[in-house]
This record gives sequence, C-alpha cells and structure tokens, in this order.
Amino acid sequence: MKEFTLDCMGEACPLPLMKTEKQMEKMEVGDVVIVQIDHSCAMKNVPEWARNQGYNVEIDEVDDGEWEVIIEKTK
Amino acid sequence: MKSFWDKLGKNEYYVALFKNPLTYVGGAILLAILQIALLASTGNPWGVSGTFANWGAWIYEALGGSVDKWFYFSSEGAQNTLNNGFLNDPGTMSNLGIIFGALLSALLASQFKFKKIKAMRQVVAAVLGGLLMGYGARMAFGCNIGAFFSGIISLSLSGWVFGASLLIGAFIGGKLLTRFFMG
Repeated sequence: MKEFTLDCMGEACPLPLMKTEKQMEKMEVGDVVIVQIDHSCAMKNVPEWARNQGYNVEIDEVDDGEWEVIIEKTK
Repeated sequence: MKSFWDKLGKNEYYVALFKNPLTYVGGAILLAILQIALLASTGNPWGVSGTFANWGAWIYEALGGSVDKWFYFSSEGAQNTLNNGFLNDPGTMSNLGIIFGALLSALLASQFKFKKIKAMRQVVAAVLGGLLMGYGARMAFGCNIGAFFSGIISLSLSGWVFGASLLIGAFIGGKLLTRFFMG
C-alpha cells in the first residue's frame, strides 16, 4: 500500500492523462496515486479514464483551478 | 458574506450549471444549436482562424502597412471585410465572444488561475505549434472549426478530407508529445 504523487501542474492535456496511465502501470494493486492538476480538461479525462478502468477515484478541489485526483489501483 | 459564497459554492444547481463540465453530448447539442444561430444571423458558417488573419491585417495597417496588394486579401469579399473595420466584422465578434466567454466560464466556476510555465520546452512547443496551426489553417482555408466542423455540416466532402488529415496529424502530434514531454 504505497502512496505516490504525480505533479502535473502547468501541464496541458493530454499529458496528465498519459502520465497517469504510465504511473498506474508501474503501481501494484492497492497502491494510491495523487495526481495534481490545474488544467480543467484533465479534471474530466483523468477521472473518466480511471473509472472506466474500474479504479476507485476521488476528486478534491484544493484551490481555485487546482485539483487532486486520487486514484486507487483496485485490480 | 463569506458564508454566502461558501453556501453558493455547494448549491447543487450552481455546481451543475457552472462548476461541473458538460457531457460531450451536451456540448455537441449546444454547438449544433449555436452554429445554426450564427449562420442565420450572419449568413456565414462558423469560422475562427480566418478572422485572426484579418486581425493581423488590421494590426499591420494600423502600423502603417498595406495589404491591398497581397494575394490572400485580393478578393472583393476580403477587401470589404477589411474596409468595414474591426468592430463591424461578425467573425471578430464571435472570436471575442469565445475569449471572453471562456474567461467568464472560468470565473463563474471559480477556476480562474494564472498557470506557471513549467519548462522552456512548453514555450517553444506552444510557439511552434501556434505558428504551424495558423499557417496550416490559412493554407487549408480553415481550421478545425471552419474547414472541419462547418465543412461537414455543410455536407461538403472537403470537411471529411480535413477530418481524415486531422487524425493523421493528431497521431503524429501524439508521437511527438510522447517523445518530447514524457521523459
């Protein structure tokens, strides 16, 4: 059960999604990644992709235009 | 006052209308309706990049230059648009509408933010990408709006050709993105 942080601040789509996909590949089942984003379209496509994969997803709006997408690798 | 804003921020109608992104289908329906309104009110299908070329011409003329002899602006229609001026051009209005509309939607969602530039690489890519897009859009007489979106809804074959080329371009762009930004 490890926790990773993926800093995607200042990065435009589709980079946050591509980096998240790559990060999830490296992780074990049960690990959690916190993806930090400030690009509103990543706030849509990152959680959407993760939910389609069947992972647990939570979105936290940490500041104006800044989010943390918390993804748990469930399988 | 602060509690009012806190409460508003949690109001379900506010969140649904201003905060959460539209679904793709919702966005598509709005685009379809609004482009009909634009066509009906201005007589032209929606376009974006052509207007930027006119903005360039107006800026050049404001600085004392002249585009009268330029082939690109040689048609009567182009000359009329330029002579009517910046504020009388429907394209100018719709482009300003996009810019201020985007600003308004970010402000209403309380998501406005000055983003930091992470790497010089981003600046180079943005400038190069912008130049290529602008040049390509003018060579093709339209961008993904004027040539693709408006082309296809006008039942023009060129819109589909543009769409197929977009896919090829996006594929190559995706490879370049992986190569230069996924280190």
